[in-house]
Amino acid sequence: MRRQRRWRYLTVLAVLALVAAACDGGESTDTTAPGDTEAPGSTEAPEGTDAPTETTAAGEEADGDPIRIGGTLALTGFLAATGVIHQAVGEVFVDRINEQGGLLGREVEWVLLDDESLPENAAAAYERLITEDEVDLVIGPYGTGNITAAMAVAERYGYVFPHHTASLTYAYNYACHFSSWSTGLHPNITNPNLVYDAIESSGNTPETIGFVINEFPGTMFIAYGQEGTDEGGAVAEAEKRGYEVVLDITFPTAITDWAPVAAQVADADPDFLYIGGLGVNASQLITAMQAIDYTPRGMFTQWPAPGPLLDTEGADGIMSVTIFEEHPPFTDDPEAVEVAGLINEALADAGVPYTKVETQAAASWTAWEYLQQAAEGAGSLDQQAMCDWLLENGADTLFHGDIEFYPEEQNYFVDLSKVKQIQDGEWYVVYPEEYAAPDRSVVYNP
Amino acid sequence: MDLLAQGLVTGVLIGGLYALMSLGVSLSWGALKIINLAHFSFILLSAYLVYQLTVSFEVDPLLTMVVVLPLFFVVGSLMQIFFHIVNIDEFKSLIVTFGIFIILQSLMQTIWSADFRRIGSGLNSYESGSIFIGGIALPLPSMMAFIAALIIAIGMSLLLSRSYFGKAVRAVAQDEEMARAFGVDTNRVAVILSGLSAAFSALAGVFIAVGQTIFPGLAVSWFGVVFSVVILGGLGHTVGALTAGVIVGSAAGAAAVLWGPLAAPLVTFLILIAALLFRPQGLLTSRSVA
Amino acid sequence: MSSRARALLGFLVAGLLLAFIPELTEAIDLPRFYVIFLFTVFFWVAQASSWNVLTGYSGYFSFGQGAWYGIGVYTVAVLTGKHGWSFVTALPVAGLFALVAGLLLGVVVFRLRRLTGEIFALTTLAIAFVLASLARISPAIDGGTGTFMTGTPLPSFLGEFTTAMYRLTLVVMLLTVLASYLTHDSRLGWGLFSIRDDEPVAGGLGVPVFRYKMVALGINAFFAGLMGGVWALQLGFVTIDDVFNIRVPLFVILMTVLGGLGHWMGPVVGAVIIYTLSDRLNSAGLTDVNQIIIGSLLVVLALAVKEGLYVRLRDRWVTTLVTFVGVMAITTVFDITRSLISDFAISMVATVLMMLIPKGVWDRVRGRDRPDGGEGPPVGMETMAEAGK
Repeated sequence: MRRQRRWRYLTVLAVLALVAAACDGGESTDTTAPGDTEAPGSTEAPEGTDAPTETTAAGEEADGDPIRIGGTLALTGFLAATGVIHQAVGEVFVDRINEQGGLLGREVEWVLLDDESLPENAAAAYERLITEDEVDLVIGPYGTGNITAAMAVAERYGYVFPHHTASLTYAYNYACHFSSWSTGLHPNITNPNLVYDAIESSGNTPETIGFVINEFPGTMFIAYGQEGTDEGGAVAEAEKRGYEVVLDITFPTAITDWAPVAAQVADADPDFLYIGGLGVNASQLITAMQAIDYTPRGMFTQWPAPGPLLDTEGADGIMSVTIFEEHPPFTDDPEAVEVAGLINEALADAGVPYTKVETQAAASWTAWEYLQQAAEGAGSLDQQAMCDWLLENGADTLFHGDIEFYPEEQNYFVDLSKVKQIQDGEWYVVYPEEYAAPDRSVVYNP
Repeated sequence: MDLLAQGLVTGVLIGGLYALMSLGVSLSWGALKIINLAHFSFILLSAYLVYQLTVSFEVDPLLTMVVVLPLFFVVGSLMQIFFHIVNIDEFKSLIVTFGIFIILQSLMQTIWSADFRRIGSGLNSYESGSIFIGGIALPLPSMMAFIAALIIAIGMSLLLSRSYFGKAVRAVAQDEEMARAFGVDTNRVAVILSGLSAAFSALAGVFIAVGQTIFPGLAVSWFGVVFSVVILGGLGHTVGALTAGVIVGSAAGAAAVLWGPLAAPLVTFLILIAALLFRPQGLLTSRSVA
Repeated sequence: MSSRARALLGFLVAGLLLAFIPELTEAIDLPRFYVIFLFTVFFWVAQASSWNVLTGYSGYFSFGQGAWYGIGVYTVAVLTGKHGWSFVTALPVAGLFALVAGLLLGVVVFRLRRLTGEIFALTTLAIAFVLASLARISPAIDGGTGTFMTGTPLPSFLGEFTTAMYRLTLVVMLLTVLASYLTHDSRLGWGLFSIRDDEPVAGGLGVPVFRYKMVALGINAFFAGLMGGVWALQLGFVTIDDVFNIRVPLFVILMTVLGGLGHWMGPVVGAVIIYTLSDRLNSAGLTDVNQIIIGSLLVVLALAVKEGLYVRLRDRWVTTLVTFVGVMAITTVFDITRSLISDFAISMVATVLMMLIPKGVWDRVRGRDRPDGGEGPPVGMETMAEAGK
């Protein structure tokens, strides 16, 4: 039976590939730069040094065993579009810290695994990293579900857990979790009010408002508040200000047909449209509205993929929230500019179309800074010592400024979000005034 | 603007796109007895290729059809040859094509990353364009898909009923051995049909690239809609697929407008279940291929 | 002792041996991760075994494992997370709800005369989608917000979290495999196999076709839901996208096809092999390759390894034992990899490779014409079904 034999050989080949892969089992992906450094033991690079990504002079090597920092990211699966950003930023951070002498004089190694955007994989991977690979430190994954699952594991083993953009703030009460996403504990209240303040700073107040919300835990939380509490969210806060809510619809995360939603928005015709969306939700909706010849008089979207929106016809004037943008006054700090440049390059290498640093990349960098400063501040890798040090001293970060951790606020700080708007085909921070780009302010004319 | 009317109209048009997406699976299943899940990744792969060709060569996206459609015709033909060599049956085809689907998805993610890809309004003039009739908007991308689906449905129907090739296909669908006994080159018929199916899927991909932002996870979100249309329309029945597409699209569209967007997927799947249970042979026919 | 009694004793012994692994790993200072690895294997063994009872035994291909699993997860999540039930009371309800849902589906679908295999398969797929949509729409179930399981306490007699998960999954897994075994070697099992081979004939010969199919579907749904309920704890944060995705339905198919449909040991073997490989590939950072390999495996297996690996392993049991133990000994003694699991993976792959040596070559080398006999239904049972295709 010739046919059978052919397939047996194919099977053998396939399995041989597996054997080759299995033989690598137990090793980690290595993202370190070669061990050349400039000044061993120094923690911060002096301001204004031009630190090229490739070191030139052969300095002293960071000695001792490398410090292994374990973590996962959504490198595949439906969160991968943003996971890739965190991967690039992390690699830049690790390269840079190694060039500057490593952490506590030792080289840093990032053991990064893929959780496939699935929380159960994240949980298993962190257990593996901590108990089998025995990493020294951990850093959080991307995506609320993954962060939640990983945090539970970190808590079980007492590891300091810095993480970035977990949106369900109320759920995190591990004593040693440190969020780098500076929205404070009640983003469902502070974020919408920031947006409404920004709108009103234009001199115009919307009479009617419409809500189109993605049925995703984070966006639902911001829009409606925490289930089982009276707190409410964007919708309730709008009503408190006297805006009339003329539309309030929720759409499934995997929506395929935007036309009915666009029709409903056009029908309700609100003075302002609040899109509680992620990724390309806003782009798709705007395109669908353009197709029926409708342009809302004002728009906001929660957590968009910033690049696609710039390209979308009809998206001019849409607002969103951010922590950092690549223009003054944020770029007044030369180190911020330098690091942003490194990140731009890394993102471009990774094939990401939009390479500017904004919320995700900034939050990612800051989480790494927490870990670095905690270890250096405590002088050791002892988890409790690091945790205590951070709680007592806070962190001095490049993109977020000085951060403190309020235990009574579940280690959250205050809401540092700013409002940005697409003007003349680019994103600019427009509110609050002290952070607005030069000569830019909120444009809203209903 | 009448909200319900607008919802129904856009629903009907997107139903055309759904029909186009379903033709590949429907024809494979009905005529070739292969449940080909790989078609989902063909649609997406075609969309990515359209995106890449448009952006790299800065041409009108519709022009890329000249390359993409013949390419997928060849791919489809090769696939059928492969199936013939390994002697596939209906049961195994589910598993094997699922495997191919996963491989292609992974390749697409490796090449284009998981990030969102959009052609951009500079090169894509169709994206938010539409035609207005009596105050109701007909969005361009789905309208083009609808017209294409209409032409193909009618064309295939004529081909299958009037031409020699069509008769051969129907013979193979009914009883392959008998067809062979009567001198039909069943292999050639199967290969050509498979090529056509893949080309139809590729065409759907063209309109998707023109009308939407694409990313790897998109393919899985089509499963429910496509199977609803395939079953409701009747296996291998192209006019049936168009009708079913229109029904599914307009029902989902109306549901979204009346009860909110969350209701739309529920309606789609309930239609699928109803179709499976009460009319698995499809709405318009009692035979498998017509 | 009858073979049935021997088998039950075997289950008991296996259960006892496995039960104390958490304590053992602590005592000899092995990484805690091994316990987690093991209980994840238990999860997959249970899911694949329950699926096999329906699809492997009766031939009714189900794409709907995700539906029963999802019902199980969500029942526990909603009852404990939203209504404050204790986990111990919520868990059996999870199995029960899944069972009821399965039976409802069976009552509707199995009575249809025009029901073909593919229609059944697609209906099960559709059920999973419908359930996901319902969960999305209804805030009482999920409504998009997700449910936190981290606040759900476990009864203290189970120990700390990892040990508790281990014991729970062990018990449910043993029950599931026991059910699968008992079905296999019983009148019910023979009835199901005859349904798979030729349903009208089976009916004509007096097999209560409808009843048996319902039982098989019921067993499938119940255990899938029960294990899903346990797994809700492991998920930590239950969201629709994480529960109702293609992963569970896909993997159970892959594992059972690899191990062998139609024998109760098939899914066990398949689950162990697939999960171990998947885990090792992930830990080596090869996740995107992982997907391609899984896809390729699916293609190759469906075409090449018709009766499944288990039958092969059983027939060539001497080789299996020698290869596995031998390679394992070499890798552990010489400390070739840092991890016992990786050692196990390599031994496994080596053994599988030995199984892939074509029958013709093998028989000639062994100097025999036919393979060994063994337990379970006669080899003819499987080949009869093949001949019909």
